[in-house]
Amino acid sequence: MNDAPRGIEVMHKGEGSLLTLLKEAQRRHGYLPEEVVSELAESLDIPVGEVYGVASFYSLLSTKPLGKNVIRICKCVPCYLKNSQAILETVEGELGIKPGETTKDGKCSLQLTNCIGACDRAPAMTINHKLYVDLTPRKVIKILKRL
Amino acid sequence: MLPLFGGDENLSVDMIPVTLNGTKVSAQPGMTILELARENGVDIPTLCYRPELTPIGACRICVVEVEGSRTLVASCHTPVAANMVIHTHSPKVLEARKVIVELLLASHPDVCLVCDKANTCELRKIAADLGVGLPRFRVKKRYHPLEDVSPYVVRDLDKCILCRRCLRACHEIKKADVFAIAYRGFDSKVVVDQDQPLNKSVCRDCDVCISLCPVGALTKREERFKEKKGPPLFIKA
Repeated sequence: MNDAPRGIEVMHKGEGSLLTLLKEAQRRHGYLPEEVVSELAESLDIPVGEVYGVASFYSLLSTKPLGKNVIRICKCVPCYLKNSQAILETVEGELGIKPGETTKDGKCSLQLTNCIGACDRAPAMTINHKLYVDLTPRKVIKILKRL
Repeated sequence: MLPLFGGDENLSVDMIPVTLNGTKVSAQPGMTILELARENGVDIPTLCYRPELTPIGACRICVVEVEGSRTLVASCHTPVAANMVIHTHSPKVLEARKVIVELLLASHPDVCLVCDKANTCELRKIAADLGVGLPRFRVKKRYHPLEDVSPYVVRDLDKCILCRRCLRACHEIKKADVFAIAYRGFDSKVVVDQDQPLNKSVCRDCDVCISLCPVGALTKREERFKEKKGPPLFIKA
C-alpha cells in the first residue's frame, strides 16, 4: 500500500476532530480503507459505525478506491434546472461508467456531489477539485479529452 | 389550619399555563408537548418516540400546530412554553400526519400480509388509524438483502423506517453501540461497523432493539413465523 505513515496522529479523543482526520486520511490514501476507518475509531475511542457513517455521508470522502481523476458532478437543484442531467449523461457516455464507478483502467471516477457553491455559473463539476462551470455537453467532451 | 408541607403551593407557582385544544391546562416546566397531551388524555400518535429513550423527533408523526410557530413542531421533543396555544388534531396537523405516513409507506415494502410483524406493527396501526391506504407516491422501493447471519437477530432493512430506536436503545440501554446510521438521503441505512452483516456476540442475550423495533425490520430468530401474542389491531378512525 502507501509508504506514508498510516497512523494519523490523534490529539483528542471523541468525535470532535473526526471530519478533519478523515479528510487527512483521504488525502494520504486517496480513499478511506477499512483498516484506516477502524484504526481511527479505535484511537478516537468512538464506535466504528459512527466513523463509517460520517465517511459514507459526505460525497467528498470515499470508502472505495478512486481513479486518478475524480469527476464530481453537482446534483443539486440549481444545476439540475440548468440541465446537469445532460452533462451527466455525456460524461457517462464518454467514460462508459455510472456515478459511483471507476473506469477499468483506473483513470477516471465519476461521482455525484452536493452543492459545490457555483450555482451562479451552473451547471458545474469538479475534476480533482478544479472547478469547471457553465458546462455544455460539447464543452464536457473537450475537457474529458484533455484528461 | 395551614398545611404542614407547602409542596402543593410551590408546585402551583411553578406551573405554566398552556392552551391545549382550546382548554386551559397547566404544565410543569421542562415537560414536552407530548407528555402534556398524554397527561391530559389527548392521544398523539408516535413512531420514533419511546418514553425510555431520548426523544429525537425523527419520524415527525407526532407533529402539532403551535400558534405563532412558522412550522408544525414535533411534540415529542418540543418543551412547553408559557401561554403556548397548541392544536393537536387541527385539519392542518391531520393532513401533515397523513402525508408523512404516506411517504413512509411509499418506500416501505407492500408485504404486510406476509410480514412477521403482522398486527403488532406500529406503522401499520398508525396508517390504519389515519385512514391511509395505498400510498399515492409510487416510487422505487429500498432494497437490502435479508441479513440472517447472526444466530440471534434477523434484520430485514427493507422494512426499516429509520426511526433510530434500535440505535438509541443499544446506545442508552445496552451501552453497546452496535448500530450506526450511514450513507445519505434515500440510501440512509442502519449499519453495523462498516456495513457488515450483524453478527456480534454482544447480541446474544439482549433483544432490546428487537423489542423496540416498531416495524418488522428486526426479529428474533427463534420467534420468526410463530404466533404473535400482541393486542388485536384496534382501529380508532
